[in-house]
Amino acid sequence: MPALLVLLVLVTLPAGAQTGVEFNRDVRPILSDKCFGCHGPDAANKKIALRLDSEAAAKADLGGRRAVVEGSPESSELIRRITSAHKGLRMPPLASGHTLTSEQIETLKRWIAEGAKWQKHWALLTPVRRPPPEVRTGGWAKNPIDHFILERLEKEGLKPSAEASRETLLRRVSLDLTGLPPSPSEIEAFLKDESAGAYERAVTRLLASPRYGERMAIRWLDAARYADTNGYQFDGERTMWRWRDWVIQAFNANKPFDQFTLEQIAGDLLPGATLDQKIATGFNRNHRGNTEDGIIPEEYAVEYVVDRVETTSAVFLGLTMGCGRCHNHKYDPITQKEFYQFYAYFNNVPESGRAMKYGNSPPLVAAPTPDQQERLNAIARRIGETEAVLAGNAAEARRARAAWEEKIKSGAPVYWAPEVMLDGAFPLDFGSPGVVGSAASFDGRNPIDTNAAGQFDIDDRFSLSAWVRPDCSDCTLFGRHGATPRARGFGLHLESGKLSPRIINVWESDATKMESDARLEPGRWYHVAWTYDGSKMAAGHALFVDGRPVKLETKQDNLYRPFRNAGAKVSLPFRIAPFNFTGRMDDLRVYSRVLETEEIESLAVGRSLNEIAASPEAARARAEQRQLEWYFLDHASPDATRAAWKQLAALKGEREEFERTFPTSMIMAESPVRKRTHILNRGQYDRPGEEVEPGLPAALPPLPEGAPNNRLGFAKWLIDPANPLTARVTVNRLWQMVFGAGLVKTVEDFGQQGEWPSHPELLDWLATEFVRSGWDTKAMMRLMVTSAAYRQSSQATPDLIARDPENRLLARGPRFRLPAEMVRDSALSAAGLLTAKTGGPSVKPYQPEGLWKELIMQDMDYVQSKGADLYRRSLYTFWKRTVAPPMMANFDSALREACTVRESRTNTPLQALNMMNDVTFVEAARFIGQRMMKEGGADADSRLRHGFLLVTGRAPSASEMEVLRGNLRYHLDYFAGAAGKAEAYLKQGETPPDPKLPARDLAAYASVASLLLNLDEAITKE
Amino acid sequence: MNDITRRTFFSTALASLLARDGQASQGLPGLPHFAGKAKRVIYLFQHGAPSQLDLFDYKPNLTKLRGENLPESVRMGQRLTGMTAYQAKFPTAPSIFKFNQCGQSGMWLSELLPHTAKVADDICLIRSLHTEAINHDPAVTFFQTGFQLAGRPSIGSWLAYGLGSMSEDLPAFVVMVSQGKGGSQALADRQWASGFLPSKFAGVKFRAGADPVLYLSDPEGYDRSARRRFLDDLSKLNSLKFREQQDPEISTRIAQYEMAFRMQASVPDLTDLSKEPESTFEMYGPDSRKPGSYAANCVLARRLAERGVRFIQLFHRGWDQHSNLPRDIRLQCEQTDQPSAALVRDLKQRGLLEDTIIVWGGEFGRTVYSQGTLTETDYGRDHHPRCFSMWLAGGGIKGGLTYGATDDFSYNIAQDAMDVHDLHATMLHCLGVDHLRLTFKFQGRHYRLTDIQGRVVRALVS
Repeated sequence: MPALLVLLVLVTLPAGAQTGVEFNRDVRPILSDKCFGCHGPDAANKKIALRLDSEAAAKADLGGRRAVVEGSPESSELIRRITSAHKGLRMPPLASGHTLTSEQIETLKRWIAEGAKWQKHWALLTPVRRPPPEVRTGGWAKNPIDHFILERLEKEGLKPSAEASRETLLRRVSLDLTGLPPSPSEIEAFLKDESAGAYERAVTRLLASPRYGERMAIRWLDAARYADTNGYQFDGERTMWRWRDWVIQAFNANKPFDQFTLEQIAGDLLPGATLDQKIATGFNRNHRGNTEDGIIPEEYAVEYVVDRVETTSAVFLGLTMGCGRCHNHKYDPITQKEFYQFYAYFNNVPESGRAMKYGNSPPLVAAPTPDQQERLNAIARRIGETEAVLAGNAAEARRARAAWEEKIKSGAPVYWAPEVMLDGAFPLDFGSPGVVGSAASFDGRNPIDTNAAGQFDIDDRFSLSAWVRPDCSDCTLFGRHGATPRARGFGLHLESGKLSPRIINVWESDATKMESDARLEPGRWYHVAWTYDGSKMAAGHALFVDGRPVKLETKQDNLYRPFRNAGAKVSLPFRIAPFNFTGRMDDLRVYSRVLETEEIESLAVGRSLNEIAASPEAARARAEQRQLEWYFLDHASPDATRAAWKQLAALKGEREEFERTFPTSMIMAESPVRKRTHILNRGQYDRPGEEVEPGLPAALPPLPEGAPNNRLGFAKWLIDPANPLTARVTVNRLWQMVFGAGLVKTVEDFGQQGEWPSHPELLDWLATEFVRSGWDTKAMMRLMVTSAAYRQSSQATPDLIARDPENRLLARGPRFRLPAEMVRDSALSAAGLLTAKTGGPSVKPYQPEGLWKELIMQDMDYVQSKGADLYRRSLYTFWKRTVAPPMMANFDSALREACTVRESRTNTPLQALNMMNDVTFVEAARFIGQRMMKEGGADADSRLRHGFLLVTGRAPSASEMEVLRGNLRYHLDYFAGAAGKAEAYLKQGETPPDPKLPARDLAAYASVASLLLNLDEAITKE
Repeated sequence: MNDITRRTFFSTALASLLARDGQASQGLPGLPHFAGKAKRVIYLFQHGAPSQLDLFDYKPNLTKLRGENLPESVRMGQRLTGMTAYQAKFPTAPSIFKFNQCGQSGMWLSELLPHTAKVADDICLIRSLHTEAINHDPAVTFFQTGFQLAGRPSIGSWLAYGLGSMSEDLPAFVVMVSQGKGGSQALADRQWASGFLPSKFAGVKFRAGADPVLYLSDPEGYDRSARRRFLDDLSKLNSLKFREQQDPEISTRIAQYEMAFRMQASVPDLTDLSKEPESTFEMYGPDSRKPGSYAANCVLARRLAERGVRFIQLFHRGWDQHSNLPRDIRLQCEQTDQPSAALVRDLKQRGLLEDTIIVWGGEFGRTVYSQGTLTETDYGRDHHPRCFSMWLAGGGIKGGLTYGATDDFSYNIAQDAMDVHDLHATMLHCLGVDHLRLTFKFQGRHYRLTDIQGRVVRALVS
């Protein structure tokens, strides 16, 4: 055993010993990790003269001493200092916490002795496509990937492994391309097909499966920190699943990765941006949002932008830009100024640092699903048809209208008002002279209360319209507040004669307040109308005086909690003239929708229809004409016309109601006036320094010719073939999905601190191939999974494990534990429980009771889904950031707080408990047991074989069968032993077992199935 | 390799892997960096931020300034939370609670803490802590991870990673949460997550009830003998796989299933307080009989310490007293004072206090001015990051010491300022860990718990 451990320690990947020292591979990692912290790009800030991150600086004469003297380690100050016997002189200094090993010192010496050749950091150089290398072993390579892999193996004196068995291969590739194991019939069909190209055809089938998009989306969700809640403290719900649907769809449709990138970074800025392209930009809105009471919004507004920079740079560029936030990057050529120039591309979103406590935060878009869009189109078609009917009847209607106008000239006064979604109408006919009939007079102490209307919250749409003749200039016309005009609620106020609409949760930290330009003069009648679109934003309000929109100045725009927040409520009912209103008011109308401008214009007419009809047509205002028309159509038109008119109103009402059911999705947008960006000293929001414009780091290529210097130009730069990083970083991440680790293991960091690629030329070949293919992701996946390297058996030998424990050289096929989602999805799939539905809102499968309650605040509890929603694929599981789904967390899933691109795998006792006892797996085992009994034939052996096949995708060996038989026998005895045990065991889970199956037998098979699900192989891609 | 040697190799390799993984995990080579007095930590996190003014930071001169606006010379334009930034006045609200001098050292403590008063000579009261965060979530995250934004490893994870576990059948880092009686703020699993460290170093939350650890109990109808047989057969099948594949992950998995099996026995044994003598419940108070209470969790903390758990962290919610502070803080103290003090006494009488650090404190302090209306008997206090108090005990920390001082308003620090990084550095020091050298490379950077700061406050260490 000690021998094995020693071997494990000795293995290192870079093979510098035999060949010459190569700067990028062997030297740069040492300098970067041990020296750049002080002698790197940020050296000037530390007032350190020597820099080792550039050749000129490292070889410069610093007062008679040179750090690096080509060919002469003895006269190089660098070598003197790292080998100095004097503690005080020796580098790196003790306090840095760094030390150099003797091998590292030796490497540096050899490098200098060999001439100290310098290279630019490899990842910043354009990838060079070299032809696949010649290899000595003929007949093994299936595609260019294999040439690169084999060349390295030959150099290392290793041989590739034999091809994996067909069963193993099918399971491996099914998991990699769809995240699900193959079904018995797929296995059978594949094993039967012995013709050439059978494997390639299986790959084609899997790539075409809608499950492929789901599998690819899972890792993208990790990268994009997708979640169903806002994070931070309160962690309220948001809805971003329409963005998730977009991602799945994009992968399934094989949207070219450059377009995929462009739309997510800047879809909103594309000419004629479609709804889908806007939804795509949710990528950069998936970050957390803070809704905590008492935060300083400016502080978090900065965090959101920083998050976008960090995520975008990690996902597309493999750069740790975030290091430049407080100071120049310590390792990579990114200055603090460049960080903020990069930041400026993402700092122009019209957003608040305080997120909405419930639901999405602006900017957002109503995002009907394809089904909803279809129904919307159907309604629009019916509206068109109805309008056609009206047009067809126009001539007849015109005749009838003339007669009707004649008739009403002399009748009792009639007034028109909209009737659709009227929440309450208050004629206020209390005898004082009014506009529409008589009016009510108020003395400041006689408000009128009603519970019949106006029970709105901050996300409801409403319109309020009334005639007012104020005698006061600081008072409240109407609204629903608590005990004072600053208490929770909403209302229309007068402040120094200016109209002021307000929505208040807490004055002034959680409120919207606006003020009109114009003042109302006392003693004059005005028509006022206030509309609000439920957006919680100041921009969602409009105010009209005498039918015309008036300019509003925003005084407060930080509303973020509803009135119903945490059990709070508005203490008073809707009240007319609640606070100090003196004067008269007439015909108050409350609507639960946003009235159209034309309707408001007509409401502000103030003449009866009779008067209008009596006036010559030329003397009628447009709004008056419209009133006549609408009233006539509503009440006096010929039957056919009236029916069509009513139908039209009903359809419009239906559309309005329907539109309110649309999910929304948060999107990127640009502020009309560009926000200023400053360098923030030490990265702090309240310490702005020099102002900067958007821009790219000097070490990277400039914007492509003609690209605008904004987010759209930035997106085009990302996907420009001249960009040395995007294609490399992307293929590397795909490689990680398939082979378990990236060619650059630090998939998140291609900077100087990143790992040297195991196969640099292969990485570049793949990157150029990706671009050459038109960024074809499916083709890239196909290339990888059809390589001979991929198809190898994953069986290892102790020697090989000692030599290459992480299998970076690929002398064997990949073997590693499945990601969390696949662990659960595979079990559900084997059980036949998995719901095959793509997309839609998140669901809440089994979760131990009380997990949310224990940690969160009052009003959000986990309400478990029912039926088919219990068995959806794990990427649809509701993700609450503060309390992640426990099974996902147990199996190392990304926690979705921030961008995660590196896959992580541990092996813990909590996973064992999870697999054995979580109802998800106990129930799945029961269904596998049921399938064994129902589909597996009559005898025990064939049933056991069937169960084994369902879980592992292969037939069991004789020794495995022996264990399984024994296990079945044990469980049959066990459940026969005591009454009630089997019944109790079978009760787990919501979907009942087939009642025809004997309980004892089913419980025993279910136990064996549980054993199978707990096999290492069951949760491993082999 | 022929069959015989293969088998021999297999069994030796497997046996030794089993031994490695079955055993307490070893931590990093070279750690501890030096001999520290402490081996473990019990961290009693008072979640929501208790008021230093009403518990620890005695300000007798404030009484005569009652109701007067906080002088601008004291506030110095420092930022306030969005909850009181709009408040027109900042009326000074002296504590209505009496303070007494306690123990040999004459430590000043509030009448709300009669039991803590009795262990005053064992605790070190720090009155000069300050933090950068002004809101709960970032402030708790800062205390837990040394950084305000989520994503870094928690302190318990750092220690599990660096020092390893001392227990063969319990996790190295255990968390328990209890509910208080005042305003509760939300907590999150990530407060004990492992950040960029492997997830096996994450805190394991123990819960009250039948399943103290998630998925611990076997399904109904499935007993221990069946589970044993299940694991024996599982081990056989996995071993067959290991013979074929040679992947060490398989043997680790076998070992982890065995550890799971042991946990199924050891955890219920741990959480079963029925065999505790009557004297335990007397010491920790009547609440300690109620599973899930702070007092019961304190008893469990002692039992976890006895069983070798490295980092035990309790969170008690309910200290966020923006209003009705006098009423609510009394309730919180009734729940926490006796069991916290009992834990100190209990560990001491068992000889465990000398190598256990106990930490008591919240995420920031509270303002001297009243949030909302100040009356004779009532006031509230907003968040205050600029100074607050905590106490430590055991594990090499000096008892009977009062460290640091604030100005007359408990608004700014007057002497011996100490920040969160300093606290972390000092705790690590007591555990024999140099905070500069416990690092993990992630995204190209060598991260540490103390970020880029931290200073061992030697005055606290005996």
